[in-house]
Amino acid sequence: MKRFKEKILSFVDNHIHIIFPAPTIIALFVVVIFPIIYNIYMSFNKWRIGLGSPKFIGLQNYIDAFSDPRFWNGLKVMFFFSGLSLSLEIVLGLLIAVYLNKEFKGSSFVQTIYIFPFAATPVAIALIWRIMLNPQIGALNYFLSLIGLPPSLWISSAKTVILSLVLVDVWKWTPMITLIVLAGLKSLPKDPYEAAVIDGASIPQVFYHITLPLIQPVLFSALVLRSLDNLKEFDIIYTITQGGPGIASETLYLYSYKTAFSFFNCGYGSTLIIIVFLLVLIFNLIINKIRYKSEVL
Amino acid sequence: MKIKLQKVLILTLVFVTFLSVTVLADINWRQFEGTEIRLLMNKHPFTTFIEPKIAEFEEKTGIKVVMEVFPEDQFRDKRLIELNAGGKVDGFMIMPGQAKLHYWTAGWLAPLEGFMTNPNLTNIKEWDLGDFFAGPMTGARIEGHQIGVVINAEASLLAYRKDLFEKFNVKVPETMEELEAAAKFFHKKVVDEKEMIGITLRGKAAAATSQFVDFLYTFGGSWTDSEGNANIASPESINAFDFYGKLLREYGPKGPTMYHWAESTSTFMDGTAAMIFDANVFKSLYENPEESKVAGKVGYTTIPAGPGGRLPHVSNWSLAVSGTATPECQKATWLFVQWATNKENELGALLSGVPAGRESAWTDPKFVSTDKTPDWTASSLKSFAIGQPQWNPPVLNVSEIRDIVGQVIVDSIDGKDVKVSAEQGAKIMDQKMEK
Repeated sequence: MKRFKEKILSFVDNHIHIIFPAPTIIALFVVVIFPIIYNIYMSFNKWRIGLGSPKFIGLQNYIDAFSDPRFWNGLKVMFFFSGLSLSLEIVLGLLIAVYLNKEFKGSSFVQTIYIFPFAATPVAIALIWRIMLNPQIGALNYFLSLIGLPPSLWISSAKTVILSLVLVDVWKWTPMITLIVLAGLKSLPKDPYEAAVIDGASIPQVFYHITLPLIQPVLFSALVLRSLDNLKEFDIIYTITQGGPGIASETLYLYSYKTAFSFFNCGYGSTLIIIVFLLVLIFNLIINKIRYKSEVL
Repeated sequence: MKIKLQKVLILTLVFVTFLSVTVLADINWRQFEGTEIRLLMNKHPFTTFIEPKIAEFEEKTGIKVVMEVFPEDQFRDKRLIELNAGGKVDGFMIMPGQAKLHYWTAGWLAPLEGFMTNPNLTNIKEWDLGDFFAGPMTGARIEGHQIGVVINAEASLLAYRKDLFEKFNVKVPETMEELEAAAKFFHKKVVDEKEMIGITLRGKAAAATSQFVDFLYTFGGSWTDSEGNANIASPESINAFDFYGKLLREYGPKGPTMYHWAESTSTFMDGTAAMIFDANVFKSLYENPEESKVAGKVGYTTIPAGPGGRLPHVSNWSLAVSGTATPECQKATWLFVQWATNKENELGALLSGVPAGRESAWTDPKFVSTDKTPDWTASSLKSFAIGQPQWNPPVLNVSEIRDIVGQVIVDSIDGKDVKVSAEQGAKIMDQKMEK
């Protein structure tokens, strides 16, 4: 019995690099890796829930996607929404972080208030924004009327719906970028700034020639983090517009969700989500390459 | 001669007795005693009515009923996933116009005629199949098979502010031209210091197709042509899109393209709209004095006539027996369906506000004597009689096709070229339709 116990212990000792991470790897495989592999497999199949078994059709779903106008609409909406919201979030996040980095009376109070939108549950705030953006009863048109501006249709018009959603997204997520950049700013060395002041550099010069290059790696990390979520933005868009009016705010991610769970066309839905996955991957590879180059230089 | 007459009389008596015993005798309700059936139900006023009465059925039959109730969206997903997984589901609620083709093709719907005509399983005379409205019952039929029994017949009605129509002496619209004229008359009119909206309708893409279909038919259009191809770009269909879009764009609320039934009914209940065209079942909302400012001030009529006549759709919620259940559970579930849809229960449901599927319920003195909105009753009954059972496009992928048609409605409301949009929609519809 004793020898058996020793044998087990020595086996564990010798294979500790496999045994200890095993539970995590198994869990990861079941909840992450297997669904991804199954999704890729499903993207080569035609299958509507309930109507027979999945039927292998090779690349047909991918070919169909490229001739599907709704796919191109989804792609366009995705790039428009993400391009605009990510740029605004990065620029505003950086500027606000630089401002909050200065010590002033009540700065910690302002910082606390400022991160509220970021801390709130996306669906909850989206529900409130949906009411505020309603052109008939919403508060935003009331505010516009107070400053003498004409009412807007906000989310009810194809022309303004994406801008309205960008507004919500920027309001919600800019604080996250600010927090990351602020942490970066706090850790910057003081010497270059002192040298610049002695040399008589102006504030914009300090910002462009010292702060921006030094904070660049942090900004790239913030961009990567935010883009991962932003390119597959779901909760805010789904809660506020469900992709409407019509399909005017339907991103590719939302279209893939509807295809799988409203139209029950799981094969095609899987194809669309794989394409989103590839786009997010390519975007991040590009960002990482730019980041690597800028660091080398 | 006398003996012969006596013989005939005796024979007649024997025959009549035999007939009454076989036809009038009740079935053996306890033949499936001890069986357990599991039903998936939508959180619907009918479910609210029938759920407390289940004990009565269990006592009568000895069948144990497990009823699971979910809000509509969740209910649809749950039903689909459970049926696909092959779990124990013996019966469920279904809107045949939405899901029958998909569910029938998947084998999830048991044909009911075998049960309905079996004297051992159905009290044929008392249950009285002929008492159900023909339109909705036809809607619950596929390839000649009955796949559900109607618990709620639904049609869309034009509801209008009776008080304002009387005050301004406006004629209740009988035709589409009159409908537009009335909407125009009331739009932006200031009543009680409030600026009115002419008419409120659903404008939110797929959701709007549920009511738009009545305009489509009334203008002479259709979902598909005789060969099954998309027909939404026919001149008649384009006129319907054009008219519906114009009503909302020019005489509707602000931002109508995001209007689902909740937004539309709220606008009407708030007292800011002169008219609304939506499902008759929403009468319970309009007439609820705690939530509606227009309770007691609403008149009801059928859809106004157009170039194609007066052709509303009629849809329904039905109770279905699952095709995946065991034969014994199917029969036990049929007993439940038969009991839940008997004359007494359908009348009870109507009295609690569900537009029931049986004619006898609507003519019952208990209902007639307490009916506070006889124009709603008359318009609903008329719509059931003239209604088209084809509510949605006749395809497997109903939601996907509704989305495509919905985009044309949105384009029309936005004032885009309807012909171009409808032609584009028809092209995509032809590519995507699965039958």
